[in-house]
Formats: sequence, structure tokens, C-alpha cells
Amino acid sequence: MNEFFILTLISGVFVAAASGLTGSFLILRRMSLMSDALSHVALPGIALGIIFKFAPLWGGLAALFIGVLLIWLIETKTKLATESVTGVMFVTALAVGALLIPEEGLLEAFFGSVEKITSNQLIFQTALAAVIIATVLKFMKQLTLFSIAPDLGVSIKISPIKMQLLLLVLIALTISIGIGFVGVLLISALSIIPAATARNLVNGFNSFIWVSVILSAVALSGGLLIHYFSGMNPGIATVLVSATFFILSLFKRR
Amino acid sequence: MSGQTLLKVENLSVELEGITVIKDVSFELKKEEVLAIVGPNGAGKSVLLKTLLGFFPPSAGKFEWAPGTTCGYLPQRFHIDHYLPMTVGEFLKLKPNPKYSIHKVLELVEIDRHWLGKNLATFSSGQLQKILLAWAIIDQPQVLLFDEPTENVDVVAQKSIYDLLHHLQDTLEISVILISHDLNIVYRYASQVLCLNHAMTCYGEPMKVLNNETLSKLYGDHAFFHHHHFEENNKKSHE
Repeated sequence: MNEFFILTLISGVFVAAASGLTGSFLILRRMSLMSDALSHVALPGIALGIIFKFAPLWGGLAALFIGVLLIWLIETKTKLATESVTGVMFVTALAVGALLIPEEGLLEAFFGSVEKITSNQLIFQTALAAVIIATVLKFMKQLTLFSIAPDLGVSIKISPIKMQLLLLVLIALTISIGIGFVGVLLISALSIIPAATARNLVNGFNSFIWVSVILSAVALSGGLLIHYFSGMNPGIATVLVSATFFILSLFKRR
Repeated sequence: MSGQTLLKVENLSVELEGITVIKDVSFELKKEEVLAIVGPNGAGKSVLLKTLLGFFPPSAGKFEWAPGTTCGYLPQRFHIDHYLPMTVGEFLKLKPNPKYSIHKVLELVEIDRHWLGKNLATFSSGQLQKILLAWAIIDQPQVLLFDEPTENVDVVAQKSIYDLLHHLQDTLEISVILISHDLNIVYRYASQVLCLNHAMTCYGEPMKVLNNETLSKLYGDHAFFHHHHFEENNKKSHE
């Protein structure tokens, strides 16, 4: 096993842990398809990366960041549901991305292209994942209350508008660093399937969060190892590992 | 009551999306007082309570809490998703700056310790009210704001939560602002009542200000029966 692959694996574990953590809050808020829809918002940024010859990671990161700010602003001004605004953004971004990205690049954007991630990008992704994890842990109580009982949160001065922005930005950042591994279409393998599996397995909140983080990390590591030894697309392999855990969890339901 | 004033509301109005929901309301809350807010559905009672908690800004007038006053809040609706993975113990730990230990607060609200490890979604609405009460008082607030649930809580559970509130008010010396739809509850537990139908239609001690005229003005003519019925019962119990 070469050093680069080990670095990829370490980065993958951090990125997956951040995805499992933020994905847990999407499950709590019953916004499971949010990360899937939001991931498409990265496409115009990825397109700019391909056209102007810079790494798609930076374009995707910028597009997602601007995308969630727009979603938050429109949501706050119009009182439309987050899902509705995300739906509008997602198809628009998909259309723009599909128009600009050449066919081969589109497949890579949809299903990931782990071999194109450089070591500098891996280090950046690992550092950003660590920041996301630290931020979620710091605001854990506020994010949890906002997600399960916003009224109780407001009564102890937790602003739902700020929490919504924080959650959207954290999800956008998590997606931007996960796309290289599993692609735009398969991002749920890291964020939603592990959290849904964890919910099937445990009853308490702390165990739910940690089981979700571990399952996400194991799924991506498994996917990367399958890719390393068999050449299978790592995104597809990760989905299959993650989905297998989910199916097994159905037999061990509480 | 001549205790310290904890809250002073002066000519408070609240507008939501251009509609005046509360107009020119003034009242005070003193230490250890129980203030009941009554009025028909859609009269602005919950909005008033939420404004006092900082959910909505006043459009005119003002309210002022005494320095250092802390509030506990029990919302009208507390919907627990059956999918939520959270035990009672984990829920109570979400409250910042607790002053009581979890076991002490369970004792205060008469909750069995075995509830701690159970999932929130397994409890009935009445039981959830008790858990919420524990949440509300764990940081030792001076004031409890209680928005009576209108659905899924049976009469027995409702009475038990009011008995518990009354007991806590006595033992912990806290003040209570409660919204109730039941005038019997108001007569039994409140020291002051505020009638609200967007504007304030009465304010004072329940026995003095709740009469046929004020109730008719507040609810319409069908209130006569309820009030008359209560007065008859009251006379019989005194005879």
C-alpha cells in the first residue's frame, strides 16, 4: 500500500466522520434528501474549474458556499421551506453544470474521481473536516435543540436563523470535501445512509451520533480499499458498503 | 400581593407580517404571583407569551424584566418525532447552566428515575408535559411561562400538571404566567387574570374582574353559561 493511498485513506476517514456528523442533523430534521439536492449546487463551480484549469474542489467549494448563502437569504426573505428553495437551486445548478461540463468530466463529477485528488487537496480536506467536526461539537447542544424543538431553543436565546445558516454552511462544506471521493450523485452514502443505519441500531442521541460517524468512516474506508484492490469506482463501492450496513441494520432493529 | 415586580409591560403592541396581533397591553407580574391569560382562539395569547421570551419584537410599547430574572418555558406544542433517538436524561442535559441535579429535578416534578434511560418518543403527551416541566425548572428560573396544550392531553393529566405547577410555585417560590382555556383552572390557581382578545379587555383578580360582562365581551354570549355554571357550583360548595 503506497503512502499516497494511506494519506487518501486518512483524509477519507476525516471527511466521512464530518459527513456522518452533519448527516445526523439532517436525519433529525427530516431533511434526508437535502445533501443530495445541495450537492448538485457544486456543479457550476466544478465546471468553472474544468474550463479555467483549476481543481474542481475549489470551484465546488465556492459554488456550494454561495449556494447555501443564497438559499438562506431567499428562505429568510420569502418564508419558503428550505427544501423548496434548494429544489430551485439544485435543478438550476444541474442545468448550468451539465451545459458547461464536458461529458467525461460530468461522469467524474457525478461519481467521484479519487485519483485526481492531489496530496495538497487531501491535506486541505482533512483540515476542513477537522474544523467541521470541531464546530459541530462546539455547537452540539444548540444545533440539537434547534433541530428537535426550535421553540425551546428560542426560549433560551438560540437564534433559529443563525442555527439554520450554521447548519447549511457546515453541510455545504462537508459536501464540497466529499464530492471528490464519492461524487455529486452518491454523497448520501456518507451523510444519510450511515445516520439512517445508526437510527435503526440505537436509541440514545450520543450513541446515534457516534455510530453514524463510525459507520460513515468505515463505509468510505471500505469503498477506498475495494477501489484499491479491485479498481471499482470508490463512490459506487462506498454506497454498496454503506447500503449493506443499512440492510443488516434492518434485521437488528430495536 | 405586594412582592417585588419581576415584569412590567407597558402599552405593548405586536405586529406580525403587517397584522396587529396584540394591541396596547399593560400589566405587571410580581414575585410568587400566578397570572393567567385567557381569551378565545387566535386572540394573541401565545404571541404575547412568546414576545415576552424574545421570539417577536414589540411594534410599540415595551416590556422590562427585573435585572437577572430568568424564565422557564413550556410551549403549547412539543411534538416529539417517533424517529427521534433521544432519552429523557439526554434531553434534560441539553439545558445550559442547570442549577439542580437531574435526580433532584426528577424528584421535584415527581418523575420516576427509570424514565431517564427511556426514549422521549415512548411517552404520552401528559408525561411529556412533566418532562418539559423538569426541563423548564432545571436552571431554577424565577418565572415559569406555561402555554396550555390544546390537544392530546386528557383532563386528568391536565389537572395533575396544574397541581404540580401549584406545588412547585409554593415550594420553589416561583412566579407563573399561564395561558389557559379553562376558567376553572383560572379561578383555582391564578392570583391575577388578563383577558386578551388582541387588546386587553380585563385585568385584575379573577373573582373581581371575571363577570358576565367581561366574559361576554371576551368570548361572545356562550360564555354566560360557563360562568353561570361555575358560579352555581361555587355557591353550592360554600353552602
